[in-house]
Amino acid sequence: MIELRNVVKKFAGRTAVDDLSFTVTRGEIFGLLGHNGAGKSTAIGMMLGQVWPTSGEVKVCGHDVSADRRAALKPVGAIFETPVFYDYLSGFRNLEILSTYTAPTSRARIHEVIDWVGLTGREQSKVRTYSHGMRSRLALAQALLPRPELLILDEPSDGLDPEGIHEMRQTILRLQHELGLTIFFSSHLLNEVEQLCTRIAVLQQGKKVFEGNVADVKAASDMVALKTSDFPGATRLLREHGLITATEQEKFITLAEGRSTAEIIQTLVAAGIAVDGIWRHEQTVEDFYLNLIKPPAAKN
Amino acid sequence: MFFAQLKNELWKLFGKKRTYIGFGAFVLVQTVMLLLFKYTHWQTQFERLLAGNGYLASEYISALTVAVVMLLPQVALLTPLYVTLVGGDLVAKEAEDGTLRMILSRPISRLRLLQVKWLAGIIFAAVLTLALGAIALGFARLYFPWRGLFIFIPTPAGTTFGVFPPHDGLVRYVFSHMFMAVNAVAMMSVAFMFSCFNMKPAAATILALSYLFVNSVMQMIPFFEPYQNWFITHHFDGWHLIFRSPTPWGQLFQSEIILLAISATAFVIGAAAFQVRDIKS
Repeated sequence: MIELRNVVKKFAGRTAVDDLSFTVTRGEIFGLLGHNGAGKSTAIGMMLGQVWPTSGEVKVCGHDVSADRRAALKPVGAIFETPVFYDYLSGFRNLEILSTYTAPTSRARIHEVIDWVGLTGREQSKVRTYSHGMRSRLALAQALLPRPELLILDEPSDGLDPEGIHEMRQTILRLQHELGLTIFFSSHLLNEVEQLCTRIAVLQQGKKVFEGNVADVKAASDMVALKTSDFPGATRLLREHGLITATEQEKFITLAEGRSTAEIIQTLVAAGIAVDGIWRHEQTVEDFYLNLIKPPAAKN
Repeated sequence: MFFAQLKNELWKLFGKKRTYIGFGAFVLVQTVMLLLFKYTHWQTQFERLLAGNGYLASEYISALTVAVVMLLPQVALLTPLYVTLVGGDLVAKEAEDGTLRMILSRPISRLRLLQVKWLAGIIFAAVLTLALGAIALGFARLYFPWRGLFIFIPTPAGTTFGVFPPHDGLVRYVFSHMFMAVNAVAMMSVAFMFSCFNMKPAAATILALSYLFVNSVMQMIPFFEPYQNWFITHHFDGWHLIFRSPTPWGQLFQSEIILLAISATAFVIGAAAFQVRDIKS
């Protein structure tokens, strides 16, 4: 559905996106992570034909965005951080206006979408009277109007309260399950990314530093949690036996290459140290992300 | 789809209170002018001027004459201010507010978007000019009788002086507003052009007004007299040239064509700039 190949974008000599390549396949929820200014919004801008790439190729739904933007964006809906509308017009009129930039849309379809996002009864009110959550729902409604196959969301939960974030997360899952949409989104909320995405890419200063499955990220940890009454004594013994290479927070150990948790238990029990629990630590996307973007000096 | 998009642009434009500031200010100034003419020595001066040229003042102090008097501040100040305000807003305000990004996430070409916006601006400029001409005449008729038209406008390029019977005067008054509408479209187009660049709406308006002001000042400098045709403001004179006898139709049509060409050129430059720029939040 989305294909970026060696994309570079420079603004007045500053490289915002540097040799970025990735592919988003139909049906997946793909998350783009990165700090502020990492190039996420620029990458999304290039997918939507709002920002022209300096070099490289951006394809959406099989069409080159630079050469055939209209065909590329026909089956696409998009939402941006802090949704903005014509505040002095009603929600319904806003949807009517935005729909004409895609294709003729019936009033019945507009009502159907309003109903789907839960704005029925407020559609004739002026947008300036809407809460942030209602604006987010209106933004979703405008994105769904053209019956998209691909939804591009730029920080969709930005500015929402915890309830709103939860609602947005449920909506995204509903969109995938009920409408079978492919969803591409950027977010700062790593917990949200972990719960929603099947795959992620991480940008740092415009460069892609990681791309992979969320499941693999979670399983990639080489840390093991060890629960024992004498953690310092246990780790000293394990080091002497060459079974571990590092410890952390008086709770985690890092196994030496080729060693297993069974050997740890065996060694500790033989030395008379009781083992209350031992399990492989599943890292969060947040742990992974923070470790990934840590400066090299901090990693050592 | 083109007409649906145009209709929506007009909804956006006429749905904003800001759009009506111009209408409100015009009506207010027109009313002030009307009352000043009615209740000060202004009317007496007009009567003397007419009598001095051998005309009966009672035949020409009329709704049509006063309506033309009411137009003067509109032509000199208010039209440039309000049409450039709206023209400068058309693209830049949407970019500033963020709604442009929302629109451009849809499969509409940038050129088409600008076409409907420019056309909406043209409709606004024309409606503003023609509606205010009608309002001025309507207000003037409330206080003055329906008689002949007298006009006296001294300009650096020559004085427009004319007296016309009511029907002839009305026809010229209507033509005058059509030429004023073309002036307004040209001013709006210049502001629209700046609005297509990456700048704030106020900057687009100020640049357009500066362009008009510089043209106006240079046009008045004797050194530039041989180059009058190069100044856009020189071509804005059609609205009062129509009241001259004989009417300089050749000069009038030349000016109108030049203004339309300037408007089209401004659109093309704006569209070219808009096509290559990046739209970012």
